[in-house]
Amino acid sequence: MFNLLKFAAATLLPVVFAVFFYHLEKKPSFLDFPHKKRQLIIGLAFGVLTIFANEFSISSGGVPMNVCDAAPLVAGLIFGGPAGIIAGIIGGMERWFAVYWGADIYTRTACTLGTILAGFLGAAVRKYMLDDKKPSWVYGLAMGITAEVMHMLLVFLTNISDIAQAFSVVKICAMPMITANGLSVMLSALVISRLGKEHLRKAENVQNISQTFQRWLAVCVLIAFACTGFLTYTLQNRLANNSADELLLLNMEDVRNDINEASDRNILNNAKEIALHTTIDTTSEELVQMAETYGIAEINLIDKNGIIIATTYPDFLGYDMASGKQSSTFIPLLKGTKSIVQSYQPTSFDPSLSRKYAGVAIEGGAIQIGYDAVQFQADIQTQVMDTVRYRHVGQDGYIVICDENWNVVRGKSGESTIQLTPIDTDLIPENTRYIGELYGENTYCVYTKAEGYYIITALPQSAAMFNRDIAVYILMFMEITVFASLFALVYFLIKRLVVDNIREINRSLAKITGGNLDVTVNVRSNEEFASLSDDINSTVVTLKRYISEAEARIDKELEFAKSIQHSALPSVFPPYPHRKDFEIFASMDTAKEVGGDFYDFYLLNDDRIAFLIADVSGKGIPAAMFMMTAKTLIKDFAESGMEVNDAFTRANAKLCEGNDAGMFVTAWMGYLDLKTGLLSYANAGHNPPVICRKDGTFEYLRTRPNFILAGMEGIKYKKHELQLFPGDQIYLYTDGVTEAQDVNNQLYGEARLLDVLNNNRTSDVTSLCKAVHADVDVFAGEADQFDDITMLAFKLHFLKNGGTLTVSPDMASVSYVTDFLESQLEKLEVPMKVANRIKIATDEIYSNIVRYSGAESASVHCDIKKTTLSLIFRDNGKPYNPLENDDPDITSSAEDREIGGLGVFMVKKMMDSVEYEHTDGWNVLTMRMNI
Amino acid sequence: MTIEKIVNGSVLTMNIGGRLDTTTAPELEAAIDASLAGIEELTLDLEALEYVSSAGLRVILKAQKIMNAQGEMKLIHVNETIMEVFDITGFVDILTIE
Repeated sequence: MFNLLKFAAATLLPVVFAVFFYHLEKKPSFLDFPHKKRQLIIGLAFGVLTIFANEFSISSGGVPMNVCDAAPLVAGLIFGGPAGIIAGIIGGMERWFAVYWGADIYTRTACTLGTILAGFLGAAVRKYMLDDKKPSWVYGLAMGITAEVMHMLLVFLTNISDIAQAFSVVKICAMPMITANGLSVMLSALVISRLGKEHLRKAENVQNISQTFQRWLAVCVLIAFACTGFLTYTLQNRLANNSADELLLLNMEDVRNDINEASDRNILNNAKEIALHTTIDTTSEELVQMAETYGIAEINLIDKNGIIIATTYPDFLGYDMASGKQSSTFIPLLKGTKSIVQSYQPTSFDPSLSRKYAGVAIEGGAIQIGYDAVQFQADIQTQVMDTVRYRHVGQDGYIVICDENWNVVRGKSGESTIQLTPIDTDLIPENTRYIGELYGENTYCVYTKAEGYYIITALPQSAAMFNRDIAVYILMFMEITVFASLFALVYFLIKRLVVDNIREINRSLAKITGGNLDVTVNVRSNEEFASLSDDINSTVVTLKRYISEAEARIDKELEFAKSIQHSALPSVFPPYPHRKDFEIFASMDTAKEVGGDFYDFYLLNDDRIAFLIADVSGKGIPAAMFMMTAKTLIKDFAESGMEVNDAFTRANAKLCEGNDAGMFVTAWMGYLDLKTGLLSYANAGHNPPVICRKDGTFEYLRTRPNFILAGMEGIKYKKHELQLFPGDQIYLYTDGVTEAQDVNNQLYGEARLLDVLNNNRTSDVTSLCKAVHADVDVFAGEADQFDDITMLAFKLHFLKNGGTLTVSPDMASVSYVTDFLESQLEKLEVPMKVANRIKIATDEIYSNIVRYSGAESASVHCDIKKTTLSLIFRDNGKPYNPLENDDPDITSSAEDREIGGLGVFMVKKMMDSVEYEHTDGWNVLTMRMNI
Repeated sequence: MTIEKIVNGSVLTMNIGGRLDTTTAPELEAAIDASLAGIEELTLDLEALEYVSSAGLRVILKAQKIMNAQGEMKLIHVNETIMEVFDITGFVDILTIE
């Protein structure tokens, strides 16, 4: 009981150690150690455990048993090769020296080697078969068993000269040790795999090749093992039985022959002796006398006709010897045969009576004598004993001789008086092997009857089967080792030649499908994989070529599309070089080759310009196509003379038709009357434009937008109006500007847009747009442009309404006024002399307004009524009548001349009339000239 | 406006075309300022000039003042309109017009 507990403890300790170190390995503090150090620690610990197992060995039938191979195996399989090897070597060395303090010396070498081997085995299996992963319990069990079987084989190998003793040791310890080691490793693996929830080597639902292969290989190996095991056992069993039979029968035959011979000689001698004293005339009384003298049961005298003529048994008188089968045997005596001996058998006369007869021919007949068994057995007892005394059946067999009543005459080791259990001779015929219990053990027996004796040759079963058992054990152990090695080797080869290659190819393929077409598959370890690699590579190359061709084609087409899209937008700036009354600039920078944004502007007539900006949902080709439609529709409706809101309403209705793709457009469009400065606009869900009044700052023009275009049928768009003045600017943009992102995904935003616009509000519109774009670029930095960036800037310089020009009086406006008058004078066909005077007057008066009036607005009017040309200047500056000034001195020397006042003086001199009035806050200077 | 300068040693001829008014006067002024150093004889050829306003008169006056100090200045090919301006403003008295 104590031994059993010790054995169980030694079996379970590796499991406990495994759990402990499994948890330790999860601890960060332990993981801080380098890998080598951790392996060393675990190896030492399991080495100590192995020593412990060595010292914990129990003895059964004088044979030591322990669980010393489990610890190195667990260390190697579960924790890593080095740990297993270290543990194995420590345990093995200790086992070698343990002999000095009482360990079994007989298994010293085997146990030492076995333990070291277990460590290496665990390490090798983990490395080459498990891919350095923890084993499943099946592997644990298989490894535990295999290692222990090899250990047993080592016991045989190291004691090859004394195989019988080796076998007796192995026979006792094999099963417990194999079981214990197998269980120990299996439990360790099981507990660890459950702990880690690592369903080891079975991560996917679909089994991988190596798993399927492993399974079938295991099945095949097990079937092969079972078949060869069964065959071996059967064959060896048959061989053992045959040799036992042969041995038993041969010996039995010898003994029977000896007994028969002795008995025959004995009766024949007696028969001859009696024949000497007998003639054909001897009477029955004389025969009785002789029978008594010689101690013979029966004497018969037979005449030449085979009839008993004298006998010790009166009943036999007149019996015809030829009438019975047994008795007829003696007929040949009457025909020349000298003597005949018959074996002990039932008589023909009375089959219930057995006798041994001998006959000798005499003059004129024959004499026959018969013995009862008791009588002749006494005579041949000594000879029988001698026959058996020096006879052995094999090494451990023996012969038992019993009399007819199963009283042992001669036993296993000499005379005996015991009685054997009678054998049912009907059930077990003679010369047939049966298993009986003799001397307390199962024994192979064969019996025969001879001369009233039962001769039994016996061979203890254990002895008979000893060779069979040795052969079966060794063969089985060899087979386990061989099949395990075969399994490992085939599995390793398949893994190495097929599975690893497939994995390698899959890794490359994963990269390729991941988009990296520059990866090549390069598995060249065998022809099949080399050819597969080549095929994959050439496929990829072809694919790459197709892709690059397709890309080139698409790039080319996109390039075309881009140029079509861009050429659809007005892209020559300034677009109307002859028009000075406004400035316009727009740009579109698409995120992809083509985009969904667009801008547009066109003169609806000489006095009205339309400009718009729009953003189609989405990007790329679909957006670009929708954009073209939207742009064309809006332009068509706008140019057909519709108001801005009506153009949107109609465009929306058209765009909604067949818009299966569910695209939509946000748009802002304005019409500006260049005579009056009235801006009418509509907003279809677009970002608010930014307006900058002259001398003011940019501000968002927030009016409630209508719904997007193409979003819903039947939308009526609303018209808004705003009065613009010369010098006002308006900036339109798409959300690509305000929603541009930087690397941190921050949005550019409306505030930042307003800042950059205000910082550049005095620039021309081209510079303004470029400044915004540059600022967006700086903001976005490395971040990819996400959306199309589109903008349009418009600046109103002056309003021209017939003969009146309205401007904002600044230096830039001087040229507008000059140009206006020049064209106006030309139109009115004013003679050059007059025209020059008008121009001089205009220069003098208007430059004064610009410099000194402080007006926000000014206008100049020029027309001819009949023969009078009128030139009228108006400004809303401070009230000032230039006519009130004194005329300048025009006679002083050059050095003393003043220029001030000269201009007005010139005007007064050159014009026929000059009048000033101040009405409603306006200075009005009217000049007339007759032509 | 157009300004063409022909320098011949200390003799400078400037051909002035277009119109000489508020807008263009600063241009001529700058041209004169840059050219007059070491010039003893300045000729302003006004053949291509359409008209002159008071702003132009100021520049011409300035040139005259400079040339008074370092040599002499004359205007040639003065058209009717310009002549009228010079008349009205009394510039005929202080300029040498040929």
